[in-house]
Amino acid sequence: MEPVIEGLSLILLDPFNIMLIFGSVLIGVMVGALPGLSSPMAIALLLPFTITLEPVPAIAMMAALYCAGTFGGSITAILINAPGAPPAVATALDGYPMAKRGEAGRALGIATFSSVTGGVLSLIVFIVAAPALAAVALKFRPPEYFALAVFALSMLASISGKSSLRNLISGAFGVLLGTVGIHLTTGVERFTFGYPELTEGIAFVPVLIGLFAIGELLNQSQALTAHYERIRAHVTKLPDRNDLRLIWKTVLRSSGLGTFIGILPAEGSTVAAIMGYNEAKRWSKNKAQFGTGCPEGIAGPEAANNAATGGAMVPTLALGIPGSGSTALILVALIMHGFRPGPYLVQQTPEFIYAIFGAMLIANFMFLGIGLVGAKVFSQVTLIPRTILWPAVVVFSMIGAYASASDLLDVWIMLIAGIAGFIMRRHGFGLAPLVMGLILGSLVEEAFSQSMIMYDNRFLDLFESPIVVGFFVLTFISLFWPFAGPIVKRVVRRRGAGAEDS
Amino acid sequence: MPLTPQERGPLLHTTDLVVALIILAICVVLYYVTTTFEEVSNLLAQNIPPEFFPQLVLIIIAILTLGVPFEHLLHKRRGDNIDSERSDRIKRMPYVTAALLIALVLGIPYLGMLLSMIGVCAVLPLLWGERRLKLIVPFALLFPLAVAYLFNKVLLVFFEPGILGIAL
Repeated sequence: MEPVIEGLSLILLDPFNIMLIFGSVLIGVMVGALPGLSSPMAIALLLPFTITLEPVPAIAMMAALYCAGTFGGSITAILINAPGAPPAVATALDGYPMAKRGEAGRALGIATFSSVTGGVLSLIVFIVAAPALAAVALKFRPPEYFALAVFALSMLASISGKSSLRNLISGAFGVLLGTVGIHLTTGVERFTFGYPELTEGIAFVPVLIGLFAIGELLNQSQALTAHYERIRAHVTKLPDRNDLRLIWKTVLRSSGLGTFIGILPAEGSTVAAIMGYNEAKRWSKNKAQFGTGCPEGIAGPEAANNAATGGAMVPTLALGIPGSGSTALILVALIMHGFRPGPYLVQQTPEFIYAIFGAMLIANFMFLGIGLVGAKVFSQVTLIPRTILWPAVVVFSMIGAYASASDLLDVWIMLIAGIAGFIMRRHGFGLAPLVMGLILGSLVEEAFSQSMIMYDNRFLDLFESPIVVGFFVLTFISLFWPFAGPIVKRVVRRRGAGAEDS
Repeated sequence: MPLTPQERGPLLHTTDLVVALIILAICVVLYYVTTTFEEVSNLLAQNIPPEFFPQLVLIIIAILTLGVPFEHLLHKRRGDNIDSERSDRIKRMPYVTAALLIALVLGIPYLGMLLSMIGVCAVLPLLWGERRLKLIVPFALLFPLAVAYLFNKVLLVFFEPGILGIAL
């Protein structure tokens, strides 16, 4: 109980931390509401600001921004049919039609209530599951870690995006970028091309800022004339008894689903929201109303996408394996502040985990207030001219890339990553998989090298461990399911039809 | 239902073939680079050699890339259009914006960080068609100064003053 009290008091009893969390929530909702700006981008840009902060407020800010950014997208999804963030795409399907028929306040209220409920429930799971998972992971040796990291990479095949194949290629390029610098076991320089600054590896921050901010800037430069039609929302109303009766089962189901998807390595809020919407529709008695402004169509994705935030923190902190693109950035922040995320972090500094839990919990209640009072104001952020907004993003990006090492090479890395990111996205190669690969790359190689030393370079001996075998079976399934799944479904459907005919 | 040859279209997707060839070329170049890594001393020779892992990853990338030109067939079967995000040609503006950013970063050693930031805030809006000088001038002056003050004075980040020596 002592670490719980200590962790929560680190947040709750320090007005400075509360202020920082509030600021992050405001920024998060604003960024989430602005089409084009996303939580990963905001977290990447926030990283340099936190250099001089203590670890607890630094990570608390990012965790709060992560939660609020996920929620913020729903405001513009409902009011202008332009989801501010990818996880809010499914919310627009029913949120906008409801707003259009004059019930914008009701739609925003349902979204806010569902988001907060999903977020809080997933945090409860997080605080119970993270220490339990960490206790299991403490038994992991390098072979198990290697197998786990390979499994996490294989999950990139099913991450949101158009192509499983391209996601895997992106992830593999990330792993390759992770090999830049001195090889740990032999001290040989790899891919440094004579730049001494690269001997310690490619700095994460410039790559992340480049991919998420500069890549998007180039993308946005093609849509300067985009215009949004805004629907007026006079006041946000919490769901009344009738709405609650209609949505409570959906909210609970989607919260559970979202948390589970969040816990899976690499799967984030967008996948959770889409599945939350589909499941809400599947279980609903009002299927025909979906797409016309159905309350369950708003509650399902909103509860699921926010529940995924708490879920995604579980593998991030307990295993050091990012649960989503945004938590990959939080992982980078932890490393920047001298922590090694994983079971030892949970075991040796439990108060830190409880502090993050406290920060995310407060963030959820703060955006409940913001959602009820300030949704109308936040929908106005789309009025900021793009011609001013994006140059401001460039300034933050340049400074952010430069600040961590005061090195101009990092600004070049940011720019190259940005241009590469723009081209990759255009051709369907996901950016989040690249980030995940970059972060997991060193873990995979290190664990593999240690395993080979343990087993005297006999690769097949890895499979002596049942955990390793289990992870490799899961890897096999996750790699081949996106391709084999449709075939299996077709065969099952054909057999079903055949049985009916006979 | 299986697609007819007309519905399926050509076996190879031309754009994706080019994309795949570029990736494969990158893989070949990087694979060559891995062969130029320094030799490991005999003392450490029993470890996994430094080139092993990057080579393994490059081979995996190359194998996966072989599927890229054929992927459109899978998408067609599912009823997706693999080209939906890239059906329009890239407009002129991303090229011009990227060129401007490259020019500005090239200029940082001469102009310094502060002047470069002012440059971004002044030139980029103009380039993107913003003509309200009442908006651009205060933004281009005040915003970079505020950011520079925050980082330089509060977060104690050293700023490149450039050959003109202009810093806060």
